[in-house]
Amino acid sequence: MNGMNGIDTVTLSVINNALISICREMGTAMMRTSYSPIFNEGLDFSCVIFNRRGEMIGQAEFCPTMLGSAQYAVNWTIEELGLESFEPGDVVIHNDPYRGQCHMPEHMVLKPVFFEGEIWGFVANIAHVGEIGGMAPGSFAADATEVYQEGLRLPPVKVMSRGEYVKDVWKIILSNHRTPKTSWGDLHAMIGSLSIAEARLLEMLERYGAPFLTAASDRLLDYSERWMREEIREIPNGVYRASDCMEDDGVTDRPVWLRLKLVVRDDEVIADWTQSDPQAKGPVNATFVVTAAASYSGLLHLTSNEIPRNSGCYRPIRVVTKPGTVVNVRHPGPSVGGNTETHPHLQNVVVKALSEAVPERAAAAEGASGCNFLFAGVHPDTGEYYTNYHIDGSGWGATAFHDGDSAMCPENGNCRNTPVEVLESKFPWLTLEYRLLPDSGGPGRHRGGLGSSRILRVLAPEITVSALMDRTKTRAWGLFGGGAGASGGIFVKKNGDNRFRTFSEAFGTVSDSKFTRVVLKKGDEVMIRSPGGGGYGPPAERPRAAVERDVRQGWLSPEAARGLYGEGA
Amino acid sequence: MGRWEKNTAKWYEQTMVYCKLCGKIIPKNLWIADEGPERLVFCGPDCEELHRDYWVPSRQGRA
Repeated sequence: MNGMNGIDTVTLSVINNALISICREMGTAMMRTSYSPIFNEGLDFSCVIFNRRGEMIGQAEFCPTMLGSAQYAVNWTIEELGLESFEPGDVVIHNDPYRGQCHMPEHMVLKPVFFEGEIWGFVANIAHVGEIGGMAPGSFAADATEVYQEGLRLPPVKVMSRGEYVKDVWKIILSNHRTPKTSWGDLHAMIGSLSIAEARLLEMLERYGAPFLTAASDRLLDYSERWMREEIREIPNGVYRASDCMEDDGVTDRPVWLRLKLVVRDDEVIADWTQSDPQAKGPVNATFVVTAAASYSGLLHLTSNEIPRNSGCYRPIRVVTKPGTVVNVRHPGPSVGGNTETHPHLQNVVVKALSEAVPERAAAAEGASGCNFLFAGVHPDTGEYYTNYHIDGSGWGATAFHDGDSAMCPENGNCRNTPVEVLESKFPWLTLEYRLLPDSGGPGRHRGGLGSSRILRVLAPEITVSALMDRTKTRAWGLFGGGAGASGGIFVKKNGDNRFRTFSEAFGTVSDSKFTRVVLKKGDEVMIRSPGGGGYGPPAERPRAAVERDVRQGWLSPEAARGLYGEGA
Repeated sequence: MGRWEKNTAKWYEQTMVYCKLCGKIIPKNLWIADEGPERLVFCGPDCEELHRDYWVPSRQGRA
């Protein structure tokens, strides 16, 4: 039992699970105390624990894009400010994509945990703050051409100092956000979760002592690294390539290519993205940390899900990028869509590259769009100004063993869909339709997950809307004979019109899927159709009973069943 | 073998130094390696090593 330098494996397991439980408890506190639906319904946040060297030692089932990048944001903060600058009760905030963060809306709050007069580690929370100023309400400017249009950029600065508000900083933040009351509530939910984690970690330190807990968490990091190396060793050595594109960047109507050369060398992987296109004019650029997180996430999908998730399992995965490309944006390029749209594409490309090597572990492509839909206005019932960041799920890719899940947030986000009741009770929309889209899942022995369709009618005199989607012209690919999923799209029907049109057609936007600040009037309707996932294996091998069930459930039309699965179906 | 150096930019300067291999922006601690007359900046010795045993050979068609 004493397998790891004198610490028995049972105790190690208990400590690992305790760290996970702390992160989960932080998440529950966030959900129960935050103000905005993207926090308390969408769960667009991640709660994590770090040692004093900036290595992540605890996380739970939150957003992979944040989890993979959190160590960069924490490391930057420690290196820029210096360990000596932290005092008990301090909280640092940080959202700067040019200082190790994912994109502007992702705000990290970080608190040092002191034990016996010294910093033992840090607790942190990264969350998508729904409104942070910038050129578009909801701070998701799909036609931004520089970071300065995307909202208020915060380098690592203290918002709490020795437990007291740093009021100057709070005033700057709140006066630059369009909905300061919501920001106030959401930021306090984040900070509150840190206090819970700090208390729980101190309980562990009291119980085990600092030296033991440090040694145990170090062993966990090494254990995860060893396990990941063993998993990689099972993949045949070689050079694997794959690519995908963003269909446009919101500013110029042309695709932007992501190209991966993935090298497996014994027990390590090199994800070389340097042949990707130059950075885009619009905000589909990824920061380095987004590309790194996507590379990690792709590998985690192809390896054992039992590996303890911490910085150790990232060590064997090396990422190579070139500044000034779409996978590593140079200042002052915009990047807000890089974290929600480009990230899942990058992750899918990693899986695609290795699909021939480990076919039983790979999945077909997912819809890979957060279907980001932003809206703002004055609520006619309250007279108050509101903004909201809304996401819709798309279809996931099928695997060797099962159909893809339907209407799920892309894997990089792992968030939840917002219920109709919450949307209608908080904002002046009437939901006319919210359903799974028949025939949107790519056909296959296992079919892709279905996309969804949502139709909303404007109830207020005006609502200003923006969107940032992808895979509205391209399609999620299938694997090993499986077919592609259906494209998604966002459409508008003006009051009195007889059909839905693209926003380009109705309002002259450059992109059908990426636009900002379109003003809709009472009675106008918006239809959001999320893309479906790709299928796996030849459709002819799908069991007849499964096809019949899909038709019976309304997931597959009889015509599509005959066309895709043969006359016998 | 390289050496650690501090980025000497003043706190008010918004400079960005990129790792020669991975492309990450480096906050403060630079790993410097000399290659002939060229001064290469990395985020750490791991990146210098990968530069030498992967990146350089791959540019020469050997990896």
